[in-house]
Amino acid sequence: MDTPPALYAEDPAWADVVPIPQYEGVSPLAPIFYTPEYKDATDYFRGILKTGETSERVLELTERIIRMNPAHYTAWQYRYKTLLALGSNLEDELRLMDMYCIKYLKTYQVWHHRRLLVTLLLPAPSTSPSPSPSSNPNPTHLQTSNPTLALLQLQEELDFISRCLSADTKNYHTWSYRQWLLSYFNHPRLWRGEVKWVERLITEDVRNNSAWHHRFFVVFASGHGEKGEDAVREEIAYAKQKISLAPNNASVWNYLRGVLDHTHMPYSTLKSFVEPYTVEQEGRSEDVVDLEDPLPSAGAELPCALAIEFLADVHEQEGGVEAVRKAVELWKSLANEYDTIRKKYWEYRIREALATQQ
Amino acid sequence: MSESPEPLPKLSRNGHALHCIRCLSGLPSSQMEMDASRLALVFYCLGSLDLLGVLESKSSNTDREAWREWVWEQQATGGYGTGFRPSSFMIGAGSNAAEYGEYDAPHLIMTYTALLSLSILRDDFSRLNRAGLLKFLEHCQRSDGSFCSFPNSTESDLRSVYCAFAISSMLDDWSGIDVPLALSFISRCRTYEGGYGQEPYAEAQGGTTYCALAAIHLAVSSPSKSLSTPPLTPAQRRQTIRWLVHNQHASGGFRGRTEKDPDACYCFWCGASLQILDVKALVDTRPLTEFLGKCQFKFGGIAKAPGEHSDPFHTYLSLAALGIYPPEIPEESWRFDTLDPLLNAKEDTARWARDNIPLKPRS
Repeated sequence: MDTPPALYAEDPAWADVVPIPQYEGVSPLAPIFYTPEYKDATDYFRGILKTGETSERVLELTERIIRMNPAHYTAWQYRYKTLLALGSNLEDELRLMDMYCIKYLKTYQVWHHRRLLVTLLLPAPSTSPSPSPSSNPNPTHLQTSNPTLALLQLQEELDFISRCLSADTKNYHTWSYRQWLLSYFNHPRLWRGEVKWVERLITEDVRNNSAWHHRFFVVFASGHGEKGEDAVREEIAYAKQKISLAPNNASVWNYLRGVLDHTHMPYSTLKSFVEPYTVEQEGRSEDVVDLEDPLPSAGAELPCALAIEFLADVHEQEGGVEAVRKAVELWKSLANEYDTIRKKYWEYRIREALATQQ
Repeated sequence: MSESPEPLPKLSRNGHALHCIRCLSGLPSSQMEMDASRLALVFYCLGSLDLLGVLESKSSNTDREAWREWVWEQQATGGYGTGFRPSSFMIGAGSNAAEYGEYDAPHLIMTYTALLSLSILRDDFSRLNRAGLLKFLEHCQRSDGSFCSFPNSTESDLRSVYCAFAISSMLDDWSGIDVPLALSFISRCRTYEGGYGQEPYAEAQGGTTYCALAAIHLAVSSPSKSLSTPPLTPAQRRQTIRWLVHNQHASGGFRGRTEKDPDACYCFWCGASLQILDVKALVDTRPLTEFLGKCQFKFGGIAKAPGEHSDPFHTYLSLAALGIYPPEIPEESWRFDTLDPLLNAKEDTARWARDNIPLKPRS
């Protein structure tokens, strides 16, 4: 096959379209020196918009523009409109987008387009907690009517996201897309596998806050996690275990605090767990293994500032002159020794605690 | 015990100003992705010159007149009201640029940056279509309270919500938007960490946390809009302050998310958030300044992290952070005028916006 000409201006297949150059008015500010290919494609794009043509070649044109500028939101907008007008196979479009999502991982539009496609391809349960990203009601003829097939497709979509995340484990768009997908389609079977899945990511990188956030979203924020005291206990045990492996990790401490706040449990519940992390590592007999309150691992850098902070909060919550005095001592140690960058913050905590006491 | 600090490098004020002047005069083809957000880039350049206090010395009256004309050229009116476009990137030669159709509509975020750019350039706003602007805001709001970036678009997140609030505040007219509905959207973006994500269920992030806090406080502080409920409960406020101060990394810079690397832009997003919460005294300015000093690019401009290339976005936000947290040192090159953290502009520029953008009562 011959390769098509680099410019539409030289392509006989486009000879019937009148290109429209970009408007030039007053002297431009921060003008961009376009490449000839971009200028040519956008000239033809403006020409197409004028006639309102929706055709296969428009799909090719918008794709070319997107490859040169994935943030060109009008090209995306018109591409979507054209796909609908042509009744194109959206499954094919989704597969094409697999490539672009990985290539332009950091571009908002790529992920937004994907949401629109998936919304049309799959049926949304009526109990969806999240509003549809599309202002138009879903055309029913595009939807999969077979629920088993729909689940399979959703599972494929989750697998795709997993592949994207292995290329960039903290990509914000990718994670938000997964959270949207789960809450929008809200399929009980999908929620079920999520905790196990995210556990793998946390094991790979215990400081991946996106993964911790996702875990919280699945277990607590979504309303679809396992309910009851056992589930909460399990989450706390999980966090404790991760702290014991690497205590100086703000993600896991934030998670632990989140669980306690969410379930209205007092921080003092964890007092005996936290205490060994607030002091220097001492020699201990290896055969003492406390499953309930795992001790810091041998190589852990102690004392851990986040544990000291937590213990101070335990004392502050407890209240009373003696408890607040203990909290103040801990905050002083953070201010002067273990977390000096936040010295002013710890001094502020001291002032606040003493002020409430009076 | 604190060690004696190493001397700060000079802030290369002239280099940063020249970086912005260069971008205003033209961008290489590698910047084609800015095509659909050029007005925002213009704002970062003009804003940097404004913060550096060199707008008048680095440009002529004629230059500034031409710049104002270009920004006004982006104002367009159509079926969904009036706003500003990113640039003429979707307008065809020969069309009437003052009107828009289906595919070259104004953009909410660009409209916010246009109003600030024109304030920096001390425009009198006699050409502003205020009624059109209110109508535009109304058309951008969605049923869940969020705002789309342009009418009928399905893109929406906290950035657009902030821009809609900032525009309403500058107009001193909140009739274009449903404030309680928007506030309920904002509260749905709050996470267990105490920050706000870009949309409901998403991870807490510094930039969107700024958008949420600034929007809430703009609504509360507006003289024409008295909200009876406090913006955050005491417990929420404590939690948010904690999350924000914990985002300051040992290197002095702030990060946008827990356990990520620091980035110059979050020195503004997190730093301004702390100022909005009335606790800017909690930030250690010295290491913050040291970090920003290291982010300076040798050929001008400030980069997101040491060793990276500079851009107007990180240049502006770094300088804005210094406007909030000037280092306590005699070194003249680090001096800045104070910043209005809610509108994100130099104080006198923000005042200009508030004095000139609202519809003035007929005298």
